[in-house]
Amino acid sequence: MALNNSSNGAAANGKYAAEAHNLNIYYGGFQAVRDINLSIERQKITALIGPSGCGKSTVLRAFNRMNDLIPIARTEGNVLFHGKNIYDADVDAVEVRRRVGMVFQKPNPFPKSIYENISWGAKINGYKGNMDDLVEDALRSAALWDEVKDKLKQSGYSLSGGQQQRLCIARAIAIKPDIILMDEPCSALDPIATLRIEELMKELVERYTIIIVTHNMQQAARVSDYTAFFTVTPDRTGYLEEFGVTKQMFTSPASKVTEDYITGRFG
Amino acid sequence: MARDLRSNGAYPEGSSYASFVRKRRRTGTFFRTLFLLATVLGIVILAVLILDVANSAFGYVAVQNRVDPERLIDSYFKQQMLSMPRTVTGEDDVALAEGVAARPGAIGFFGYGYYQDRADALRGLAIDGVAPAAQNAADGGYLLARPLFLYTSQSILRSQPQVSAFVNFYLNNAADVAEEVGYIRASQADLADSLALWERAAGLTASTADTLFPASGDIHIAGSSTVQPITRRMAERFQAELPYSGQITIDGGGTLAGFERLCRARDIDLADASRAMERPDAAVCRNNRIEPLAFQVATDAVTVVASQQNEFLTGVTREQLRQIFIGAERWSEVDPSWPNTPILRFIPGEASGTLDFFVAQVFGDSLEELPKEHLLAILSANISAGRLRALNAEQALVERTQEEIYELVVSEVVRPNVVESWSFTESLFNKAEIEAEVATIPNAVLEFKAWLNWDFVTSPQSSNPTLAGIRTAILGSLFVTLIAFLVAVPLGVGAATYLEEYSKGTKLDGIIETNINNLAGVPSIIYGLLGLAVFVRFFGQLTSGVAFGAADPSTANGRTILSAGLTLGLLILPLVIINGREAIRAVPKAFREAALGLGATKWQATWTHVLPNAMPGILTGVILAVSRAFGETAPLIVVGVSTFIVVDPSGPFSKFTTLPVQIYQWTSRPQEEFQRLAAAAILVLLFLLITLNATAIFLRNRLKRDY
Repeated sequence: MALNNSSNGAAANGKYAAEAHNLNIYYGGFQAVRDINLSIERQKITALIGPSGCGKSTVLRAFNRMNDLIPIARTEGNVLFHGKNIYDADVDAVEVRRRVGMVFQKPNPFPKSIYENISWGAKINGYKGNMDDLVEDALRSAALWDEVKDKLKQSGYSLSGGQQQRLCIARAIAIKPDIILMDEPCSALDPIATLRIEELMKELVERYTIIIVTHNMQQAARVSDYTAFFTVTPDRTGYLEEFGVTKQMFTSPASKVTEDYITGRFG
Repeated sequence: MARDLRSNGAYPEGSSYASFVRKRRRTGTFFRTLFLLATVLGIVILAVLILDVANSAFGYVAVQNRVDPERLIDSYFKQQMLSMPRTVTGEDDVALAEGVAARPGAIGFFGYGYYQDRADALRGLAIDGVAPAAQNAADGGYLLARPLFLYTSQSILRSQPQVSAFVNFYLNNAADVAEEVGYIRASQADLADSLALWERAAGLTASTADTLFPASGDIHIAGSSTVQPITRRMAERFQAELPYSGQITIDGGGTLAGFERLCRARDIDLADASRAMERPDAAVCRNNRIEPLAFQVATDAVTVVASQQNEFLTGVTREQLRQIFIGAERWSEVDPSWPNTPILRFIPGEASGTLDFFVAQVFGDSLEELPKEHLLAILSANISAGRLRALNAEQALVERTQEEIYELVVSEVVRPNVVESWSFTESLFNKAEIEAEVATIPNAVLEFKAWLNWDFVTSPQSSNPTLAGIRTAILGSLFVTLIAFLVAVPLGVGAATYLEEYSKGTKLDGIIETNINNLAGVPSIIYGLLGLAVFVRFFGQLTSGVAFGAADPSTANGRTILSAGLTLGLLILPLVIINGREAIRAVPKAFREAALGLGATKWQATWTHVLPNAMPGILTGVILAVSRAFGETAPLIVVGVSTFIVVDPSGPFSKFTTLPVQIYQWTSRPQEEFQRLAAAAILVLLFLLITLNATAIFLRNRLKRDY
């Protein structure tokens, strides 16, 4: 069965782009996260924060089945995408990833030209439109067009770190996903480049749903609409401690643990 | 509460810290020097090895031809001349002169003196525009002019003053006497050279020559009957004009007999000679510790004559002479303007030195330039009928090129044979010793030989080291390596990709992995046994080509290039897999994640991103593997490589040999010449390997530059 895109499935599931229900993820015998229930609102930025090892990246990668790449990883529970559980046996992970794009912690353009970096994803997904237009469109959306329009044939690695990350965002946008997952996209960047990415995220959220993992609480406070705070049990299993509107969580957190973390008392 | 680490002496400070740093630096310097020395040592050892091999591959050789190629040509043309129709032969030159004089359609040749005697009835023909006149003969312009010599040795001149005196007298009067008895005088320069040689050898000058008189003691002379008239007249005058009281005996016997008696029997003091001493004669002298001295005393001109009654012959070219005496039946065949009448030939007989001389001068080409039909005739005249049939069966002789026939004549008839060889350093530093040694080998010539030369690379194997080459082996090596490459690279890269990208780490995958790692350590001979059992024996029908109808009955036992290539392919497969896995593993995980994150399938990510990025590393492994296959010997010997084969491989079902096997086979032979061939082949092997690797490294770097 095919997953529906938001554009043709319309308001198939109303308000939420994706929902995790009772998500448990194990690495071999080790339980990484426990009983995660999380609803991601459409065209909002949801930030996942928490101390190291709390499983926030694992949860993020559960939304496009990237955890499948780790042979010992095992996922229980559901992740609903337009009402369809992406872990159902009849769903192909390849199709999930086509709908849920991803931007990684370290900029990872392909060792190919800037143009090919964008076009390759479109090509393998059967894009039949005008490739030049798509490339320009994606690069404009990623606020990179003006900087690279004269050197599309150059290697993606000729760009600076911040530009490379925006190229990766452009690459993700080019295949028109519903959701963009960002795994600490700014941790390898300097403050100015970070700021540009944050501005870009704010532009993108008008068209896309964004889930971002970040270590930087200011960043979460600055850009996100919702925040999910994860923490760990003593046996190092992560769980969702608190989830809510960002402003509220940063001003008056419901949980003591959240407050301690946000105010810098641990983590 | 933390302790103050600065105050309690836990870390060295001040001067003790400085010496501590120095000590650490010394350790660093020690290891750096050690590694540098190891590197230098490695390079030096490699250089010494290569130099040692190269040293064996170049140097002097003593070559002995079983048959002298010049004599081969001369005797062939001599027989041709003698067998022509309407050819009168005779030892009596006077009779020949009369025969030509009486017939207008006749031609003949003999000594200048006999022509002078009948100049009234005979016309001496110019050759290539040079007339047979005394002046032309003396200055060397006339084709058939030949110097006449007197031979002796320095020890004879020094120990027997009467001989020394006679030679001095001879040289001073040679010009006059030569003309007196009907010969042409030697040139002033030649006579002056001869006198200077006498002065050096006798240790005297023109003015001190008188001290030799009064002379006594006998003088014994023998040799060429052509020179004899001059010597005889000289002896008469010497005895009459100078204070000499002894006997002079003069024998004939021919030039060769004179040399033999001078050097071997040592019973004469002087030898008359109508030709210069040749290599075999000189060797006889040196073996008997006699250093021969040659004095030119006069010149003879063999004269080609026609009758005065002949109306069309005034001069001929060398080419026309060839046609007149061999081949042409009628004058008009030689020159259309000449009459259509038969050619009558009057030539000296078979035993005559004049005939030999004529043949050598007129037909004396090098074997290499001889036309094909002559080479064929020489070949068939000098090898057995059975051998001729065998050669014809290989490929019809008439269809072969002149070059191929020439090579056959060399290998079948001339049969040059290296009897002794020396390394480059020996050739450089012991030249005198080597020359002395070669002088003791009959018929041997000293040559500088590069064992590594183009002929060596392009000739097939041979049991004669002079003719042996490695073409078959090079082709075999390239063919086998190509098959090994075609087998191992796709399989190996495929297996590496599976194990790295697709393997789920199941038990089966673990077993496969362990097996591959162990296979890389299996001795190569075991692969040979495997190849023998599987490819040669079990799949013999396939590997010999019988199953495809491509079988050659001689190779239908499976010992083919295909079997060897498959065996070597298996041998290098683990190398390709292990290196391929390393290369694939080294591709950053980020590329895979990026591709998969875009909705690529595993295969798309692998094909478009993983393999291209792993390619330089995979190529490195392939280079190592192919070099290994190229240099492998042991498994091929087990699989059944041919150690002696002269036919180039024609396809995967051919018998074959490879370069390392060829080297192995040569080094195991006792003759030194094969060791030198092996050295040359090693250089070729190294060169090929370096070229192969350089190409692959170049390719690898180009691939690397692309991203």
